[in-house]
Amino acid sequence: MYLPTATATEQALLQGFLLGGLYALTALGLSLVLGVLRIINLAHGEFLILGAFLGYYWLQRTGVDPLLGLVVVAPVVAGVGFVVQRWALSPLVRHGDEPALLTTFSLSIIGQNLFIILFTADSRLINRSYGFRALRIGAVSVPEIYLISFAAALVIFGAVHLLMQHSAFGRQVRASAEDPVAAAVVGVRVRRVHALTFALAAGCAAIGGVLAGIAFSFDATTGTSYLLTGFAVVVLGGLGSVAGTLGGGIVLGVVESVGAAVFGDGYLDFIGLMVFLVILALRPQGIFGWARR
Amino acid sequence: MTNTPAPTTSAVEHGTSSAASRLSRALAAGRARPWLPLLAAGAVVVIVYPFLASTYLLQIGFQILLYVAIGEAWNLIAGYGGMVSLGSAAFIGTGAYTLAELTGHGFPLVAAVVAGGAIAAVFAAAISPAMFRLRGVYFSVATLALAEALLLLISTISTFGGTTGLLLRSAVPSYLGLYWWGLGCAALSTAIVVWLLRSRLSLALRAIRDDQDVAQEMGVHAFRTKLVAFVLASFIMGAAGALQSLNTAYVEPSGSFSLQWTIDIVTVVIIGGMATRVGPWIGAVFTVVLVQVLASYPDIHDAITGVILILVIRFAPRGIWGTAVTTSARIRARGARGE
Amino acid sequence: MLPVAKFKHRAAHVAASASAVILLMAGLAACTSSSSGAGAVSAGSPITVGADLPLSGTFAFFGGYQKWGYERAVSQVNARGGITIDGKKHKVKLVILDDASNTDTAASNVQTLISHDGAIAILGSCTPPMVNSDAVIAERTSVPMVTGCDPIASFEAAGPWKWVWDIFFYDPDLAELPFQTLQAYRSATNKKIAILYSNDPDGDEVGGKLWPKDAKANGYQVVASVSFPDSATDFGAAVEQAKSSGAQIVLVDCDTPQAISIRQQMASDNYTPKVLDMEKGSEPFQFSTALKALASGVMVGGYWSPTLPYPGAAALATAYEKETGNTYSQHIADSYTAAQVLLQAIARAGSTSNTAINKAIGETNGEYVVGRVNFASSPLSHASPLNVVELQWQNGKTVEVWPRDTEQAPLLFPVPSS
Repeated sequence: MYLPTATATEQALLQGFLLGGLYALTALGLSLVLGVLRIINLAHGEFLILGAFLGYYWLQRTGVDPLLGLVVVAPVVAGVGFVVQRWALSPLVRHGDEPALLTTFSLSIIGQNLFIILFTADSRLINRSYGFRALRIGAVSVPEIYLISFAAALVIFGAVHLLMQHSAFGRQVRASAEDPVAAAVVGVRVRRVHALTFALAAGCAAIGGVLAGIAFSFDATTGTSYLLTGFAVVVLGGLGSVAGTLGGGIVLGVVESVGAAVFGDGYLDFIGLMVFLVILALRPQGIFGWARR
Repeated sequence: MTNTPAPTTSAVEHGTSSAASRLSRALAAGRARPWLPLLAAGAVVVIVYPFLASTYLLQIGFQILLYVAIGEAWNLIAGYGGMVSLGSAAFIGTGAYTLAELTGHGFPLVAAVVAGGAIAAVFAAAISPAMFRLRGVYFSVATLALAEALLLLISTISTFGGTTGLLLRSAVPSYLGLYWWGLGCAALSTAIVVWLLRSRLSLALRAIRDDQDVAQEMGVHAFRTKLVAFVLASFIMGAAGALQSLNTAYVEPSGSFSLQWTIDIVTVVIIGGMATRVGPWIGAVFTVVLVQVLASYPDIHDAITGVILILVIRFAPRGIWGTAVTTSARIRARGARGE
Repeated sequence: MLPVAKFKHRAAHVAASASAVILLMAGLAACTSSSSGAGAVSAGSPITVGADLPLSGTFAFFGGYQKWGYERAVSQVNARGGITIDGKKHKVKLVILDDASNTDTAASNVQTLISHDGAIAILGSCTPPMVNSDAVIAERTSVPMVTGCDPIASFEAAGPWKWVWDIFFYDPDLAELPFQTLQAYRSATNKKIAILYSNDPDGDEVGGKLWPKDAKANGYQVVASVSFPDSATDFGAAVEQAKSSGAQIVLVDCDTPQAISIRQQMASDNYTPKVLDMEKGSEPFQFSTALKALASGVMVGGYWSPTLPYPGAAALATAYEKETGNTYSQHIADSYTAAQVLLQAIARAGSTSNTAINKAIGETNGEYVVGRVNFASSPLSHASPLNVVELQWQNGKTVEVWPRDTEQAPLLFPVPSS
């Protein structure tokens, strides 16, 4: 253990808070799919990494900032998500929870393998100057990319919230989530809603992936660790709740950051997993309510 | 078997335990279990195999038997119990490390293998109260996180060799010996599963799988039932892990606790047929053969496995054996109608 | 159903089962007769050498280079007609299996190579856990094995070996490099060192034991020492600790993704030490591709460079770049050498006997692209250490900065700030 200085603690808190925004963004897609389709997408991390790789090659090919390139990257990944849901997951709806879970598990395996074939196993980093610079706020410094990610998270979460609460599509989504049968009766095309939601989730994952790819290096197999982070966020924040996911991300970011300052970076992943398991074990209330169909 | 005299009706009616009525019951049993000769044939093959097999085939045989054992254990909790665990690696690795550690201190092999299973079982029992609060996909995710956390822990602390792992310095069995160990493990696993499935516990387990709340209302002790199944399954996985460490003579976190175990076992059971007794056997042979065939295509091995899994889940959700059983039943039904 | 029908039904079952058993037995018998055992080789038939490599997974980066090195050595021998055994020339068949960076798969691969493919010798994988897995099986089956890509301290720790031989660098030599370099250039620093290392076998050895020892011996002070698992991705706290310790020298030992993240987060934290040495992780070109200008000034120990005065060194790198269109890496050299040593030993033994080949390997004494390989004269058992040099990233390439008499460019000091 290492007792951090006051400055170091402030810095850890601030950085953790902002990083939490990125965590939340990477978990948003998972939360949406869980809340609406009631399935856990074990291939979620791969959508994230797909976004990161596309962002990387976008920068390489066009020289344009990948954040601007998101205009192209996010819809592409969303399209992939749409196809995946329609062809691989939609037909399994009648068979219960396990087949969908195992199918997304298989998709994750396929995805990682494809990434190695297409992009090799090399580590990548989307090289942007703001990925290497920090802003000084008094005695503490904050990486610019963390600020940018946090801002992006606020924007995306805000947009999704507006979509869900104040649009016709949003109403259809909420109806399908609450009672698919009743929704179908009143004319909601539940299958289409599911596919579009999954696509939206994939698109959000891609956005998170590009930002993460600027902040941290990634490779073909990094998806798994983002999946587990995503779970921790979703569990902390409660389910299907868009605002909850944002809150959960921030809590996780702060806990990890402060924990790392005290215990050392090495235990970041371990702490995250332990927090996740402990919360699952102690406070599953929000989950129970609707893990049972 | 075909020379038994026809039973006298009086003996059957009076239900006396005369030799004739016992024979008639055996006959009835034989009729009701047409798979008995197939089972006997299979047993003969499995026992005679090592005497004919080359070293390579012995090694393959061992792998198949190990997958059978772990597959049956996973099938018990996932197929019959509805607890889809994605953390099998945690128990397999625990067994492997236990044996490596104990043989390093001079423990005899049998004790070390049993201990491997026992420690894994104890670990399972310890985490059950927390794990069983979760249902369905949440349970699955928790097991995945658990296996990942254990891998991280073992890699980080230096007590068990950290990322270097442990080398087994004591003598390990020959490949022939390993085959017998594997056969013993698979036989034990089969025995446990078959025994469990004949007991009332299996009804309770299946009731819980189908609807835990209703089952509990009907008086089923959900926790106790799940605990027994989970602990027994973990014991088998731990013992199998211990045998694997005898095979490699070296344990190390990224191999012993690898997610690859989970992927392989899920493949074995899904392809063989979930919630069937024969499924894991077929799935194990299929998977090991598949791995050998795909060894020539290392870069797409995982992708192909994933595609096969998805296709099987989608088009043959009962797996090879399950589909064969339902198809043959359908054929027989059609045949009976045609008669 | 009539009893007769039941009888026929059951008889059919028995007949079916019996024929299935017979077929299976026949199949088994066929399999056992066709599978080749090790050792026996008929006139003119190829002799098999097996290699286990990480062609996918975490260590895939190394596997590609090793594959090239092994294949080149074998094809050169075959171009000359093969190896003479008992008076007849036999071509060499190289069978490579992918272990996917998984130790259990590695063990299974070596088993398969020996029992199914009939390999008379094995060439190893990369990194201590993988090589250990290979070596344990080779040792247990008494099959000779030569490997590179395994730091000798880890190799020795897993021994003692009878059948396995390692050609690679010896960790203490590598650990000393930054100190020797700074001494030679008389670089002025406050002599305070921060050590960051991942807790894998090399990290623990170099970062945990050797560097602190060397620091003390050379009059430096270790003011911070942080270790992390090889799966860690965020190093904010570690970097902060190093920065606040006031160290002007930072020594790091970790994998490439981590090295990239650490360098990046140091820049974010506005922390540029005067000396930054990142062992292992900063060696591959991906490090420079990812970080671009930020890679400049980072030092890393290397065990080979085509500019070293060894026979065929420059030609090897040129051949690699011409054939593959990729930048060379030092890993082509130790793998090429390991395969050459093995093939030459088989030729010297003139037989496929494992004891003869093993003895011949032990008698190896020659100049290769990596320098002199001589197991007998080395104080280390079954290992021949390579000379190490200090490299530094300058303008997107690694250049040798020490020893000074073979330097390609002088040391860039201090590390340029971004």
